[in-house]
Amino acid sequence: MNTLNLANLGFAWLPLLPLIAVAVGAAIILLVGVRLEDEDSAGLGILALGVLLVSFVCTLFTIGVNAEAFGGALLTDDYTAFFEIVIQAAAAISVALSLDYAADNGLAGAEYYSLVLFAVLGMMLMAAAGDLIIVFLGLETMSIAVYALAGFVRREARSSEAALKYFLLGAFSTGFLLYGIALIYGATGTVHLDGIRAAIVARAASQPYLELGVGLMVIGFGFKVAAAPFHAWTPDAYEGAPTPITAFMATGVKLAAFASFVRVFMIYLGPAAAQWSGVLWVLAALTMTVGNVVALVQDNIKRMLAYSAIAHAGYALVGMTAAGSAAAVLYYLVAYAFATLGAFAVVIVLERRATAGLRIADYRGLAQTRPGLAAAMTLFMLSLTGVPPLAGFVGKLYVFAAAVDSGHVPLVVIAVINSAISAYYYIGVIVAMYMQEGTPEIEPSGASPGVLIGVAIAALAVVLIGIAPTPYMNAARDAFAAAAGPPAQATAFAR
Amino acid sequence: MIAVIVFWTLAVITVLSAMITAFSRNIVYSAFALLGSFAGVAGIYLLLGADFLFIIQIFIYIGGILVVTIFAVMLTQGVADMNISNRIVGLIPAALIALLAGAVMLEAILRTPWPHPGTAALNPTTHAIGNAFLGPFLLPFEIASVVLLAALIGAIVISRQAARAEA
Repeated sequence: MNTLNLANLGFAWLPLLPLIAVAVGAAIILLVGVRLEDEDSAGLGILALGVLLVSFVCTLFTIGVNAEAFGGALLTDDYTAFFEIVIQAAAAISVALSLDYAADNGLAGAEYYSLVLFAVLGMMLMAAAGDLIIVFLGLETMSIAVYALAGFVRREARSSEAALKYFLLGAFSTGFLLYGIALIYGATGTVHLDGIRAAIVARAASQPYLELGVGLMVIGFGFKVAAAPFHAWTPDAYEGAPTPITAFMATGVKLAAFASFVRVFMIYLGPAAAQWSGVLWVLAALTMTVGNVVALVQDNIKRMLAYSAIAHAGYALVGMTAAGSAAAVLYYLVAYAFATLGAFAVVIVLERRATAGLRIADYRGLAQTRPGLAAAMTLFMLSLTGVPPLAGFVGKLYVFAAAVDSGHVPLVVIAVINSAISAYYYIGVIVAMYMQEGTPEIEPSGASPGVLIGVAIAALAVVLIGIAPTPYMNAARDAFAAAAGPPAQATAFAR
Repeated sequence: MIAVIVFWTLAVITVLSAMITAFSRNIVYSAFALLGSFAGVAGIYLLLGADFLFIIQIFIYIGGILVVTIFAVMLTQGVADMNISNRIVGLIPAALIALLAGAVMLEAILRTPWPHPGTAALNPTTHAIGNAFLGPFLLPFEIASVVLLAALIGAIVISRQAARAEA
């Protein structure tokens, strides 16, 4: 094979198009940005939104294709499409939140938006990955871009601290993941997820190394989804990062990490579930409890939402311990993502320079001054608590019901107790807004059109997904069924 | 027989250097001791017939990472007081974790049925690796360049804005 024959490599344009759109878009933004002054950065944000739209349209063409490319390295099934669309939506809302925030805080526009797009590229790769090398490279593309974004506000020590902590612990956790991948490769002789599953089913995998490798991968993914006891970086990183980036980290990064985590573990390491489901049980219980209990004592809203993000990773992990509940996990993640994006959007409206306006006490009296905003925040808090008929409630219902069906009753009891605990701090925000006196000062730029549209879209999504859950749940079911289908079903692209 | 002697020599050099890196109270000694550790691992790669890994280990770890580490250590102010930075804190938990990790690894090493491929003739592996990069692993190879581009932009963002803030 001295000549490069793309057809032999399983090269196909279709699965690559959404990725190429984002990568080319990131490069164009860099090139355009060189010629612009920093004040024009909002225009670059609009350009980034256009890039995400193009990528979204490309993804639409891949729905229902269910094929693989590059010899199984990229899987173009509905599971990939499901997560690509949710990631694009989360990124688009984060960009909309950034439009004025980035300009007002003197964040250089071109680098900012191109790094966001590179992170999106990594996330989409993680969702599409059919071999562990792509999982790792996607994770690195995403993480490196987000490390830099977290430290973007150079004049603030908190931002640099966030970037440094996130970078050091993130790099350390990537080491665990990579070591796990190496051991799984050693145990099974392949990095392809299909081959790994075949080796496990045929009992051809070298057991001690497989167990060690799976354990190390749980630690690696545990860091990225912020599961306890690997969550220590989360509050500081979320608090210090620019708020639109915090929203992006809490949703995009978590969605991508779970996309990969669920695909690798529930589908391809499923035959070895006996070796990891117990570990996930403990992780889920610990994550929910630590997240919710520590969130109780937070008075900074960004830290409170960070612990809430940890707690919600725990609820999603509850779904991962049950074999039949993968679709519920997907639904849950979507419900969580929109409520969290909306909550951070409201935070941006009230946030003022020098990190003022971030205490929960600063929300007192918001219902009088900005009733619409207060109502939206109430929706997000209630959805995160899990109050019917909002999306968060339906998500929890699906996840807990699936876990009960698989016999994890004690875990569900822990989860329900945790939901009750979480009501205290979520409703604390509502009480501050409606029942306490105060006049919250609002950053004029915070209430920019981009942010308000973000709040509106998130609020609409939280209500719609909650009231009419069936289409979304069916999409999640189809997505998982496409990913879990027998290998023969996923045919290579014909050329 | 010679291979066994060479292996044990390399292993002792690697582990001893690693111990100096971990336990030395002077960070300059720690940085320099990394040399032995990296070089020892490179030697073991060569012993296993992995010529490409050997040269990459020398290039990247000794030529790149180690040199930068030593630069960073030497250019840091007050390097003489650095002995406090490498103080052994939490000796007991560290020892416990090391023992536990060691026990798990030992268990895995002993329980694994190791295949013995026999002694193969020393063949260059670069040809096969090159074909793999432009063959079945074309996609990871291309994505790696995107990772590097993102890292480059991130590094420039963080260092350039610092320069602007000082100006």
